[in-house]
Amino acid sequence: MRSRLVIAWAIALFVATALVVAACGGDDKSSSDKAATTAAKKPSGTVTLWIMNNGPQPVPDMEKTLAPFTAKTGIKVKVELVGWDVQFDRIRNAAVSGEGPDVTQAGTTQVPFFAALGGFENLNSRVKDIGGQPAYPEGVWNTTKIAGQDGVFAAPWFTEARAIYYRKDVLEKAGVDPATAFKDWDSFRATLQAIKDKVPTVDGKNIEPFGQPGKKAFDLVHHVMPFVWDAGGAELSDDLKKSTINSPEAQQGVEYFAGLLKDGLMDKSQLERDGTQVESQFKGGKIATWIGGPWTLQSASRTDDKNWVQAARDNVGIAPMPQGPQSQAFTFVGGSNLMMFKSSKNKDAAWELVKFLSQDQVQTDYANLMGMFPARKEAQSKVGEQDDNHKQFFAAIQQGRTYAPIPQWGQIENAYKTRFGNILDSAAGQGKPYSSAVVKSELDAAAKEADTLLAQGG
Amino acid sequence: MLPRLFTPSIMSTLEQPELKTPAPVPPAPRHRRRRAAVRTPRVRWRRNRLAYALIAPAVVFMVLVHLLPMLGGFYLSFKKLNTFTFSQLWGAPWNGLENYRSILFDSENPLHSGFFEAVGNTIQYTFFTVLGTLGGGLAIAVLLNRPMRGIKVVRTLMLAPWVVPSFVVAVLWGFMWQSDNGIINKILVDYTGLLSERPVWLIGHNTIWAIIIPSIWRGLPFAMLIFLAGLQAIPDELNEAAQIDGAGPWRRFRFITLPLIRPLIAVQLLFGVIYATYQYAIPVVMMGSNPGPDADLMMTLIVRQSFSNNLFGFGAAASTLVMLAMLVWVFVWWAAFRRDMQPQT
Repeated sequence: MRSRLVIAWAIALFVATALVVAACGGDDKSSSDKAATTAAKKPSGTVTLWIMNNGPQPVPDMEKTLAPFTAKTGIKVKVELVGWDVQFDRIRNAAVSGEGPDVTQAGTTQVPFFAALGGFENLNSRVKDIGGQPAYPEGVWNTTKIAGQDGVFAAPWFTEARAIYYRKDVLEKAGVDPATAFKDWDSFRATLQAIKDKVPTVDGKNIEPFGQPGKKAFDLVHHVMPFVWDAGGAELSDDLKKSTINSPEAQQGVEYFAGLLKDGLMDKSQLERDGTQVESQFKGGKIATWIGGPWTLQSASRTDDKNWVQAARDNVGIAPMPQGPQSQAFTFVGGSNLMMFKSSKNKDAAWELVKFLSQDQVQTDYANLMGMFPARKEAQSKVGEQDDNHKQFFAAIQQGRTYAPIPQWGQIENAYKTRFGNILDSAAGQGKPYSSAVVKSELDAAAKEADTLLAQGG
Repeated sequence: MLPRLFTPSIMSTLEQPELKTPAPVPPAPRHRRRRAAVRTPRVRWRRNRLAYALIAPAVVFMVLVHLLPMLGGFYLSFKKLNTFTFSQLWGAPWNGLENYRSILFDSENPLHSGFFEAVGNTIQYTFFTVLGTLGGGLAIAVLLNRPMRGIKVVRTLMLAPWVVPSFVVAVLWGFMWQSDNGIINKILVDYTGLLSERPVWLIGHNTIWAIIIPSIWRGLPFAMLIFLAGLQAIPDELNEAAQIDGAGPWRRFRFITLPLIRPLIAVQLLFGVIYATYQYAIPVVMMGSNPGPDADLMMTLIVRQSFSNNLFGFGAAASTLVMLAMLVWVFVWWAAFRRDMQPQT
């Protein structure tokens, strides 16, 4: 009896000790870190950098990029991968709890939200080291701020924009001149119609004129908003107090896009797929045109990307987005910025890292690895000179527009995404029967939801 | 530290609550009970302290990882938590019953309609999933409950879907449902010609079936196994005697099999409903964080609004409502099946 009791208590004690040890373990590490950093004067030590899955080999690519930095400054960088699927939660939790890395990558449209959490360093006094505003295109620089507030909360890192991908061989067969094929809304539509009528197959395999993912794509809004902007609409009112997604202009833009589906110019089965899957459909020669970012262009030259069929790989053409009824063309421009945590115990070393990653050549090389554009003005235009397709992408970036930099944007984008998804579903003959009234009621619902979210700010 | 604590607190209310089948306490024999009453608490403590010591770690763990986060989630459901306040967490402004009121009664609030859409979808999903799983499982168990060659191979093969993780089930079926080149439409349209037009499964009204059918597919083998074990425990004499008395297969099933496996049906019904209500993986993996108006379930709604939209107050309140609904279900279930849970005498 007694010995059993002893054993039971021993087990309980063991478990309790294990817990205590585990808890202390965490503290131990951070306090020794602190001691190490306060002792140093010149930036040194180790900084932790969170990156997302940029390109096929994110961590080795980044480590290769940083090798010269460590060799020169002696600052070691611990690169940790945080997937795009979890990065929002992880960065938010790190900012709120103060337990995170020193520097993190963040999507450009996320910066205002993260910055509003209060966990990130205002880089205002430091950004002169990297050239400040003049070194960056205006739209890119705007992604480092919160609307209506002073302060710079991020350093731009790399840039992407959406443009039209097309198959040169298919256009040729359809008898459409690529120079004017995507000039404006009407010619875009006519081009798709010509492909539908004249090129139903390539090498005996069916090909659809155009395909875009639906609500399963995280970036659905990036592909619909350009048409809203073209028509003179906007996501929010100028004072950022109300949603304008249900304005007649916005509705016109959404209906143009949904109309392509309704009239069979856009393949409805692509709505069942997510962004990556539809990208593979273009690479696999199943769709003739598609709206995408620059990384796909770069992957055409990678022989290890087996999603490409030869005909598609050899015939990639790029065109900027078409002009709308107001003779203006817009596209979404995004990318990633670098943000420094307030809780960083080694801010000077962290800033050295940001400075290094903001050098023209370093940005260009790294952006090339991923198939992105550097964020800096001069580096960007140099990459744009590489070849004809890159020139078109550079032109697309110049049409670039981004969303209002307010903390609630991510939530509003989700609300819009839901409603755009419903509209596309119904244009594809699924869900509610498609009509202007249905589009209007979905956009009204989107605006109502957005207004509720905007009211949160007080 | 706070957000770390916070995340599991919401999650725990999302996950299945530990709903144990209330174990029937056999009435203790009289004389023992009287003797125990005479004993002082100290004596009783000394007698039972080994047992207390043994369960202590489990109790501590349950309180730490389950009860406290759950109470935390309940508390947060009275807070105004959104993009601008959630970093204050416990210190966020008090909101009283506003979260509950806006979910349940405020038709002006966009979250209200989304919530009831999800409630409707969840009820439909749960009803058909549980019905299909239990009905199908029972039917297959009856078919397999007879001496035949290769029965063990068949039984093993039948179990295969059960060992496939939900995540993989959703990925596989996601491909199978694709309208242009998925195998399901190929079978329905190209190979058999049952349908002339390709139905679209992953968007629009069909989406709810696109998640119900794989859920049944995955749950069926386990139900089958349990029923088969129950069927094999029924003594052959009962059926033989009934057969001699002239009872046909249906009457034997109705009056012998069904009453004898009623406890098994009851237990599976209890867990099946709870499990289906808390379904998350299959719709999310198959259709993304927002499965759309026809397949948005309670859990996808709560997770999306809480973690993507920072509406933790809404999420906590909706989680609490789901938990209450499940408690009601357990009481209804207990009222209906308590006699089946008594030990047979």
